[in-house]
Amino acid sequence: MSAARAKHAEPILSARGIVNRFGKQRVHDKLDLDVEAGEILGIAGGSGSGKTVLLKTLIGLHRPDSGKVLIDGKPIDTVDAREKAELIGALFQQGALFSSLSVAQNVMLPMREYTSLPISEQEKIAAVKIELAGLSADSAAKFPAQLSGGMVKRAALARALALDPKVLFLDEPTSDLDPLTASGIDELIVQLNRGLGITVVIVTHDLTTLLSVCDRVAVLVDGKITVGTVDKLARSHDPWIREFLHGPRAQGAMNARRSSHGIR
Amino acid sequence: MAGASSKSSVPTLVIDGEGDRLALAGVLGIRTLAQARQALERWRKQRKPHVLDVGKLSGLDTPGAMFLCELRDQHVELAGVQPGHEALLELIGGLPRKPLAKPPAIPRWRQLVIQLGKGVDDLWRDSIDIITFVGRTASAFGQALLHPSLLRPASISRQIAETGINALPIVGVMAVMISIVIGYQGLVQLRPLGGEDFTINLVAISVVREMGVLITAIIVAGRSGSAFTAEIGVMKAREEIDALHAMGLQPFDLLVLPRMIGLIIALPLLAFFADVMGLLGGAMMAQSLLHVAPQQYLERVRMSVEMRDLFVGLIKAPVFALFIATVGCMHGLRVRGSAESVGRETTRAVVKAIFLVIVFDALFSVFFDKVGL
Repeated sequence: MSAARAKHAEPILSARGIVNRFGKQRVHDKLDLDVEAGEILGIAGGSGSGKTVLLKTLIGLHRPDSGKVLIDGKPIDTVDAREKAELIGALFQQGALFSSLSVAQNVMLPMREYTSLPISEQEKIAAVKIELAGLSADSAAKFPAQLSGGMVKRAALARALALDPKVLFLDEPTSDLDPLTASGIDELIVQLNRGLGITVVIVTHDLTTLLSVCDRVAVLVDGKITVGTVDKLARSHDPWIREFLHGPRAQGAMNARRSSHGIR
Repeated sequence: MAGASSKSSVPTLVIDGEGDRLALAGVLGIRTLAQARQALERWRKQRKPHVLDVGKLSGLDTPGAMFLCELRDQHVELAGVQPGHEALLELIGGLPRKPLAKPPAIPRWRQLVIQLGKGVDDLWRDSIDIITFVGRTASAFGQALLHPSLLRPASISRQIAETGINALPIVGVMAVMISIVIGYQGLVQLRPLGGEDFTINLVAISVVREMGVLITAIIVAGRSGSAFTAEIGVMKAREEIDALHAMGLQPFDLLVLPRMIGLIIALPLLAFFADVMGLLGGAMMAQSLLHVAPQQYLERVRMSVEMRDLFVGLIKAPVFALFIATVGCMHGLRVRGSAESVGRETTRAVVKAIFLVIVFDALFSVFFDKVGL
């Protein structure tokens, strides 16, 4: 990890002076955020703190009221569609699988649009991506409505990985999932990060994910952002962060983190 | 991925070697995969490669790794694998890499049989549902007569506003347009016979007896029938209907009845409005094409249209309203699971409602002819 980080001196994704307003409310107040290549960054914050809006701003789906987002050194709104597809993969909260397409067709859609590979080759690649996301190739013919919650997330992840993006954005990847499935997804994220060298940005309020998976965590409080490793954040004086990382729910997650770090 | 060129230029792959030893350099990825396969095929024709040197690869992504893993399975030795690439190869090599499951292909004739069966089943279920809905509405009406307090006047009046008052502009414009269309066609046909004045009778009679109510019903089917399906369907998809059941409330009483009653009240009023606007359109047509002044036009209309024509037109409106509301609500309650299903049911509801309206309009025509109205 450290070697990979040293090679990329400049961050793969950086946001500068992001301001987002809804009516009179300032959701983001001149945010700066850098994502280093190869890391797993968690974005946390209370409900309504603007996590999803920040994610959409980083992907370029939401134009901020002021400020800019650079991906791979280029402003995100100047990157053309194909390049963007190769840079960014996104997993939306509800999966956002196209309901009229089967899992395999969902995964193959970006390949069909952006490459000229023969169908048989695309199918092979899709099978690998589907297995990479932890689904069996047998579920490829199923339609989104026939999948369970965890399978939807995995299928959506397979689609997000279709073009081997450099940065993977995950919006609440473990919400609505039972703890076992959720920790399966957590493991998968780490595996993809290590194996594919993919940079991962996770928006979540799942403490276990934040503490056991993320290299660094960015906490959104009152429109400002505080970034650091969990250990550093744990010493923060901000009342919300203190409560968040020392509350009753955090204790179990902290234990999980210790054990998982022991294994690593 | 690791160390892949960050430039947007097209990645390149160089393949060379001699004997049974090949070497790859550059980027082996999704964009160069086809090239790699071709080159390998060409080499294979000459000689079976045994060793592939991948030490000079500057980039490798999952499709590339999949390609190398396939070669490895065919007993080609990969030489000089970089440590960064080894992790990826291990990850991909560790997957079962089974071919994609495909839905079993069904022969054409069986598909036809299945479609036919489904169609008949649909028809059967539709008939049952429509009868059930009409029956329940009738019984609810009966109850409402006995206990008027059970009706929900607030919901009903909101439905009347939604389906009736908000539809006034479009219904009015359409009625004017349709009478102009009829006027023009009639004029062209009647002028050679010297009966161009009868165009006024033609427009007045056809608007009041048929077109006013028909055009209103079709607009309402597209506007409100689809809205009923979508509203109730979304509630169904989001488990709001289940929530009502769990509270011991009847979705039929809360959601379906107000819509039915509202539409049964609103549609005749709308149809009457369409008649008036249609006659107004006729007046405009008479003024500009026949140079008949509005007063004379009204006189002609009074002579040609009788009270029973208005009655024949408007009596159909509540029946059409009943069908539109029934079909719309019924399809809304049939939504299952996904949002896609809402769209499908809405389409079906609109098509079915318009179909029923036109079929029953034809039946009414025959019936009124038989009884001499």
